[in-house]
Amino acid sequence: MNNALQLKNVSKSFGEAKIIKNLNLEIKKNERHAIIGPNGAGKSTLFHLISGHYKLTSGKITLNNDEINNLEPHEINRKGLARSFQVTNIFPKMSVYENIRCGILWSMGFKYSIVRLVNGDKKLNEKTYSILEEINLKHCAHIPAGLLSYADQRALEIGITIAGGADTLMLDEPTAGMSNSETERAVNLIKQISEKRTLVVVEHDMGVVFDLADRISVLVYGEIIATDTPKKIRENKAVQEAYLGTEDH
Amino acid sequence: MINFFKSFSTWIIIAVIAAILPLIFDSSFSLTLLSKMGVLIIFTVAYNMLLGQGGMLSFGHAIYFGLAGYASIHILNGIGEETLPYFPTVLFPFIGAIVGLFFGSLVGYVSTRRAGTAFAMISLGFCEMVTAMTLIFVIFFNGEDGIQTDRMVGPEPFGITFGPQIEIYYLILFWCLVAVALMYIITKTPFGRMSNAVRDNPERAAFIGYSVRRVRWQAFALSSMFAGAAGSLHALNYEHIGFESVSVVQSGAVLFMAFIGGAGHFLGPIVGAIGLTYLDSTLADVTEAWLLYLGLTFSGIVMFAPGGLAGLIVMHGPIARTDKKLLISLIKPYCLAISSVITGLIGLIGIIEMLYFRSLISKGEGEVVIFWTEFNANGIMSWLIFIALILVGIFLSKKTFPLAKESWDHAISVVKTEISNE
Repeated sequence: MNNALQLKNVSKSFGEAKIIKNLNLEIKKNERHAIIGPNGAGKSTLFHLISGHYKLTSGKITLNNDEINNLEPHEINRKGLARSFQVTNIFPKMSVYENIRCGILWSMGFKYSIVRLVNGDKKLNEKTYSILEEINLKHCAHIPAGLLSYADQRALEIGITIAGGADTLMLDEPTAGMSNSETERAVNLIKQISEKRTLVVVEHDMGVVFDLADRISVLVYGEIIATDTPKKIRENKAVQEAYLGTEDH
Repeated sequence: MINFFKSFSTWIIIAVIAAILPLIFDSSFSLTLLSKMGVLIIFTVAYNMLLGQGGMLSFGHAIYFGLAGYASIHILNGIGEETLPYFPTVLFPFIGAIVGLFFGSLVGYVSTRRAGTAFAMISLGFCEMVTAMTLIFVIFFNGEDGIQTDRMVGPEPFGITFGPQIEIYYLILFWCLVAVALMYIITKTPFGRMSNAVRDNPERAAFIGYSVRRVRWQAFALSSMFAGAAGSLHALNYEHIGFESVSVVQSGAVLFMAFIGGAGHFLGPIVGAIGLTYLDSTLADVTEAWLLYLGLTFSGIVMFAPGGLAGLIVMHGPIARTDKKLLISLIKPYCLAISSVITGLIGLIGIIEMLYFRSLISKGEGEVVIFWTEFNANGIMSWLIFIALILVGIFLSKKTFPLAKESWDHAISVVKTEISNE
């Protein structure tokens, strides 16, 4: 079993509306897996289910063969799954440095301590700077995060996501709203950080998806209609009809 | 050792000043006032662990302050009647801290399941409940009369009886410094940092491995613990505790102090506690309308300076760091704006004072002293003067405020370009 994530017969309903229907999905270790689908297909709901933000109606989700579908978000995070959000989700009033440092605290065993100080901790400081370097934000470490440009805030969010050392990353539309050059920068960053990690990404930009993904799953109305390599997805008739056919790709 | 003194120099200077103060202002009024300030500084900074650091608005934090006070008084009485073994008076804040921590953990476990409005409502509910209990459980709370005690119990080490107010003042000062320093250090711990993180973005905090509820609960319990320590000192200071000390009134007072001083900054609540305690003790004698002014000030701060007094100062920090000249250029427009506001306020205060005077004093007399000047509240002239002042104030504000805002916008835009050029 070398699956990082496995979803078995996962369903989610909001009242009468069934958003996710009996969904099965396997994400292999260290692969870059993209989930695509038209608006309202349930991509974000799926992310919320995996990360513990929503509770399942039925089914089972395992992370590295550990069942996680009954856990709280922070417990799932501690098991090695980290995520970013569709809408930028950082600590805007804190400095860039402190955003990253907060992301590291749990993984370095600081827990809820009130007897340790964070400022003088050398290892913590070094780790924070190494991540700032990875996401190219070292030069603005002490600026309030809310003052960064949009693209930099997205990069910072990726930084927070990887800071805790999770081996499975889930990014929700990491390049949404970016210019071409910003997108290119973001894709390079994502490639770089996902080198030794499992990556699940929801993305609308097909250029990004086909550039980045090892495998692609197509989600339509709460069901996965195909999971395959980019090349085969491109040739898949059902996918073309349901999704790609409406756009020029 | 030199480094130690350097990093703590501000604290040491403040401590020395606080220690000298009662030697300069040695009237019994100022001693009582200073002691009260010390107690309320601990309470307000503790309250701000919730409000400012943790983003939780509580309307019932006096519970832990008051209950700790009741417990301390009972224990003092027990020692006095020799039904309880001796416990050093110096260490009484520990009793309060334990009581506060216990009840804070209990109530916090329930109330921190929810944040925002629900949390605020639950805190209000608990506060009303405890206040009602003071009138029901007469054996423990003794109803509206409260309980008296005598703090001079047990042996007298080094001749210190804690009878004279000055000895109590130094006791309060010592614990005030210890408590505030501890609470300051807590803001620098992993818990302190995550408390801020949960305040700013609870969703994000959960996805970096922290239980939002656990962080809030811990903040609540610790905050109650320090509030309890303050409650013990309050009881020692007055040798009396009454139901008002657990009530919504006391809870509201600490909220006012923290908010007006500035909840977003560690020093804000200290400024608020000192300022409001002083005004409460002095202005209350000068004017009947003191609570109205307090309410107006609070509303004004909420509307125009949500960061409180400390927030107003802190927001000029980046400007001062970028260019001192920029800061100096702000002084003139600020002075103009402030003086136009003051003009209007003098008018408003005049009207309020005359209204209070008319409603409280028999109609026959008309002489009322406002701003050290005699006015006739029955004559039309006095009313016209103050109404004119309000109108002039409004008129001037309309001219000077855009000017001040323009200067501020200019200064902050310079700062922003400086930052992006770095």
